[in-house]
Amino acid sequence: MPAWLKGAVGPRRNDSRFLLDVHRRDLPGEETMRRYREEDEVDLCIVGAGAGGSVLAQRMARRGWRIVILEAGPFWHPDQDWVSDEAGSHQLYWTEQRIIGGDDPIELGKNNSGRGVGGSMVHYAGYCPRFHPSDFETLARDGVGADWPISYWDLRRHYATVERELPVAGQDWPWGDPHTYPFAPHPVGGAAQVIWQGAHRLGIQMRVGPVGIVNGTFGNRPHCIYRGYCLQGCKVNAKASPYVTHLPDALAHGVEVRADCMASRVELDRGGGRAVGVTYLREPDGTEHHQRARVVAVCGYSIETPRLLLNSVSPAFPRGLCNNEDQVGRYVMVQGASQTAGRFPTEMRMYKAPPPEVSSEQHYETDPSRGFARGFSVQTVSPLPIGWAEHVLADGHWGRALREYMRDYNHWATVGVLNELLAQPQNRVTLADEKDRHGLPVARFDYSLCDNDKRNIEYSTTVIKDILTASGAQDILTIHRYAHLIGGCRMGFSPADSVVNSDQQAWAVPNLLVSDGSVCPTQGSANPALTIMALASRLAERLAKRLVDLAPAGSAPGALAGGRG
Amino acid sequence: MPDFTRPGHLPNLRPGRQPATPDWLPRQRRGTSPQMIGRYPDYDVMASAAAWDSATRQVVEARLHPSTDLRFFTAAEAPTLRALCDVAMAQDREPRVPVAQMVDAALADGRLDGYQYADMPSDRDTWRLVLAGLDEAAAAQHGAASFARCDWPTREAIVEQWARGLLGGGTWDRLNVTRAWAVCMRMILSAFYAHPWAWNEIGFGGPAYPRGYMRLGPLGVREPAEGRAATAEDPVPVVAESG
Repeated sequence: MPAWLKGAVGPRRNDSRFLLDVHRRDLPGEETMRRYREEDEVDLCIVGAGAGGSVLAQRMARRGWRIVILEAGPFWHPDQDWVSDEAGSHQLYWTEQRIIGGDDPIELGKNNSGRGVGGSMVHYAGYCPRFHPSDFETLARDGVGADWPISYWDLRRHYATVERELPVAGQDWPWGDPHTYPFAPHPVGGAAQVIWQGAHRLGIQMRVGPVGIVNGTFGNRPHCIYRGYCLQGCKVNAKASPYVTHLPDALAHGVEVRADCMASRVELDRGGGRAVGVTYLREPDGTEHHQRARVVAVCGYSIETPRLLLNSVSPAFPRGLCNNEDQVGRYVMVQGASQTAGRFPTEMRMYKAPPPEVSSEQHYETDPSRGFARGFSVQTVSPLPIGWAEHVLADGHWGRALREYMRDYNHWATVGVLNELLAQPQNRVTLADEKDRHGLPVARFDYSLCDNDKRNIEYSTTVIKDILTASGAQDILTIHRYAHLIGGCRMGFSPADSVVNSDQQAWAVPNLLVSDGSVCPTQGSANPALTIMALASRLAERLAKRLVDLAPAGSAPGALAGGRG
Repeated sequence: MPDFTRPGHLPNLRPGRQPATPDWLPRQRRGTSPQMIGRYPDYDVMASAAAWDSATRQVVEARLHPSTDLRFFTAAEAPTLRALCDVAMAQDREPRVPVAQMVDAALADGRLDGYQYADMPSDRDTWRLVLAGLDEAAAAQHGAASFARCDWPTREAIVEQWARGLLGGGTWDRLNVTRAWAVCMRMILSAFYAHPWAWNEIGFGGPAYPRGYMRLGPLGVREPAEGRAATAEDPVPVVAESG
């Protein structure tokens, strides 16, 4: 895109930015939303109103499909429901019980799990990098992880389209497949500026962005006001989430979002080869309902998608839907997300400006001299007081010492990494013995690092400490943690190595789709939101072009293919 | 008067990784901070409350008027709960952020983190077991009737053992001691640093919707509503300027 067009080009075929109200933050069209009867066989029933489900719904609604989205959490009214406050944002996260195990249990909840219309992107930081071409073939290139049945070039156009829809702001991007962004980079706060200078002294290149945050004018979406509460839900509507980027257009094209509805099982026809709808439990009393549908798309992300499939037991699938090959729930990945903070003589006030500001992908690819395969990215972050307190605690301080570090908050700047941690079959979601308040077995997530993961984390932590030292930091505090979820129902080459094919169709039930981060076989060192949306955009395009055969094996070819369209 | 360009007050740079007592700082002069420690003596975040959206203002202001009744913990558990919350946050005198009540409300309302370690009981059971374990440690090591009856240094010593994973025996054997530390401290920290008095102490700008922050740099530039750190200047003109 030529530089003079920056900020001037909006997306085609998505009017969300014009449908939003300048004076209210509510999702426009809720009162007049189309409602379907449960007895109606809709064209598509989607489970989960997050990044994958919302983009798929918006695209297919424009092709005339009749669509119901079931969402376990609430239909947000941000003016009332969201606050500029850390502790007050607790309801944005999936905080129902889950069990975590393995050698390195992964904290869930506010760390990586959303709930409610808009999904986890309501509280993600806003970083929107693309995956690198190498991420799609790590096994062939580096002998680790897995190869995808599609390549970067299958997704490239969709990355560019989604970047216009969010819209993404950032400098020209030199790493991976070099590309530009539709909006200019945001101004950089003082804290990130100091880290950037330190990196520069070490020869580490950094760039501003890429973030899905409005910088300039974009329809009725306001410019960012730099209040720093990206992780608590953007009350401004400046930060991208499906709630503002795709659901307004979806509702305008006849999609029904049925909130407070917890899917309990995917129903099959008598033969077990075709999905016929979704059974769900409606709040507040948990009464059971059933929505009939011609096609079902599960979009509940890496924990709840496997859980729903495993809870959908039937004679054809006694160990859980599409799990006869024992692949459901496997290869769940997280990213190492250690953060290091440095203390500086002048005030940094890192709470101002969005937490995501400046990042580097210079260490993204394998470098044999480092002693491990694959790599990591470096990103500035800005914890608010509760997050900062957890950081200080992790460095071993409590009581009087912790209070002293906390009083020094305004003098600190923070930088983090995202390590590519490798896919392993035993890192898996299964069903726990515990049941939720509806009586459904809850998910158990076991996770253990491998040696390559540990070497990556150790090396990258040294790099960010070196950056702070080069920046002139007077003291350094470090926290080791994890972020993001990927995998669990990965796409692959055969039923023996995966749950879905390259069109995100379940191998065993062709009219059952999975459209969320669980289909990714690898994750690179990139935040996953943009890739989840790009995958949904590609899937929708293939459905619309009737390139996906939705008919069960053995039936007349094309009987269900494409449908309306 | 302290020179905050230098880091000498930071525990990692001091003998034993321990800070000085906070009386090297002035007393809070405007608004309230926990124990009236005045790192930003003339800054009161609540002075900006009228500029916040009403949903945020209600959530924050409610923390200034907590219920004094405990709903989750029993009367028998209350003294040990309060003693733990005090020592964990070094709140040795009034005014105190009411951490114990805030923790009790979170547990009573079921505002939990959304994950439970496979080798741990639920967060609610963990809290009860920890309080019992602290009383057992106080009795076994110091012959005290309860943790709450111990003097401040003894309480600090017991909690330090817990933080290092060194407590064991009795109730502690039903817990992963290190994970129990993380579970309880996360909740204590979330309560303390949700309170606007704590924001005054650390100079945090607080909620900023719909106003926003417009002065991101260069370094040292403050919004009109952001407070200055303690200085050697005469406080009267400083207060007048910031008021």
